[in-house]
Amino acid sequence: MSNPPDFKFFSLVLQNLKNRPWRNIATVFAFAVIAATLFSSQYLILGAKQSLDSGMSRMGADILVVPEEYAGAGQTVILIGQPNSFFFDNSGFEKISRVAGVAKASSQIYIATLFASCCAAPVQMIAIDQENDFTVSPWLTANPGVRMGKDDMIIGSAIIQNTGNDLMFYGHTFHVVGILDSTGTGIDNSVFVRFEDAYVMADESELKAVKKLTIPPGMVSAVLVKVDPGASTKDVARMIQVQVPGTKTLTPDGLLNAVSGQMSAVTRILYGSTLAVMIVSIPLLGVISAMVARERAREMAIIQALGATKRYIMKLMLAESFSLSIIGGFIGMGAAAVILVGFEDFIASSLKIPFIIPSPLSILVAGGSSLLLVIVSGGIASLYPAILITRSDPYDTIRRGPS
Amino acid sequence: MNSDQVVKGIGALLVLLGVVISLTSWFIFPVCEMHGLFTETKTGMKLPMPCGYTARAETGIGALIVVAGGLLIARSTPETRQAVGVFSLATGVLVVLFPTLLIGMCKLADHPCRQLTLPALEILGVVVIIIGGYLLWKRET
Repeated sequence: MSNPPDFKFFSLVLQNLKNRPWRNIATVFAFAVIAATLFSSQYLILGAKQSLDSGMSRMGADILVVPEEYAGAGQTVILIGQPNSFFFDNSGFEKISRVAGVAKASSQIYIATLFASCCAAPVQMIAIDQENDFTVSPWLTANPGVRMGKDDMIIGSAIIQNTGNDLMFYGHTFHVVGILDSTGTGIDNSVFVRFEDAYVMADESELKAVKKLTIPPGMVSAVLVKVDPGASTKDVARMIQVQVPGTKTLTPDGLLNAVSGQMSAVTRILYGSTLAVMIVSIPLLGVISAMVARERAREMAIIQALGATKRYIMKLMLAESFSLSIIGGFIGMGAAAVILVGFEDFIASSLKIPFIIPSPLSILVAGGSSLLLVIVSGGIASLYPAILITRSDPYDTIRRGPS
Repeated sequence: MNSDQVVKGIGALLVLLGVVISLTSWFIFPVCEMHGLFTETKTGMKLPMPCGYTARAETGIGALIVVAGGLLIARSTPETRQAVGVFSLATGVLVVLFPTLLIGMCKLADHPCRQLTLPALEILGVVVIIIGGYLLWKRET
């Protein structure tokens, strides 16, 4: 009895799984639901975090200074690109540049464009000061063939237009010279123009546009700040708020907290449903496995009588359970990935969060951890029945006949 | 389940997919015109946006998939499997190509047709392609 029988282990596992298709489909479905919910939660959180990182690095700023009363609006411009216009006195810009720890400051004007039709849509226009800019300039440096001249425009990746085409805003025609890489943040829904062209567009709007655009002279919407190396972003942000009253500073950490707050309800629902599914399905799977173990007691006893060790029987039962959990895990994660990738834009706009497809490594980690948890659940559910079978005496079981 | 039952089941699935494809653009994940969004000409005439034309084409393709599925339920011979397999492959490709290349959707990323109808049709089209491939693979058995 010490040598394992001459069975092909994996073909025996496969045959056993094929023998009970409906029960196994139900088990696979339970594992798929657990894996899908777990994977979705991690995918959403990772996507939002990485999107925010990439958005802030695109902006090139450590701190974004906006008028205090428009802090929320400034946040939505960066996070989801909801078009907005607001201004504060440009003299604040001078004061910000002089705050200790500020290495570089650059002002921007935010203009919400008009909704016209399919092709002239409400998007966030961001006018940049080309001399001090560090949002678009690094991209221009990385793309040496592109120059931003009079009436030229660089657009975010969500503005569906090709380079070389024209776009009209407030009756003023701009020429698209470049398309920025996708970040998943509001920057993807923004268009970048020069200060000079924005002022010309505003002057012409009374005659050319359905609604007049006013950009008050000497006013800007936001100031982007780069902090000195070694200086604390948090301290510099606090100093700016103290030294330039009426301003509010937005930092990547603060924005991440805001996003986490917005997502907390969704992640709680996802984690909660995972927990609920696990609480219900693990004992249920355990009971089903125990019933099957009783059904299969004779079959296992015969295999034991043919020379299989208790260890072999235990391995066989656990392998069946692990196979079902792995199949369920992959199906669940695959289905979740198809829905999450396909409906990415809808999910991001419904949750009002920045979102980008996470890096392959993070997806691998999220998938791996979800699969591991599903496999562990499968192992726990089948452990007791496996122990039960191996403890019974094969001779007695065969003699008793089917129960 | 024997092979004949499986094929009839696939036929039923094709009928269901055809119905879903036909209804997706109008009722399940409606295109822009169902949300009251139209392209307005200078004379004030309201015309459907590109997604509206895609929706009309998808309705037709969906109806053809229903017919193919019905054919498979009625006769599941190897020849029918082969013919429905090729047909499903072709129509599945068209379900994907209409909203992406041939007609297209609206240009704005936040329009409902881009956020919901497009991914739904892409997923449904790929499922039809997979079924077509399976029918061709299993045409003899």
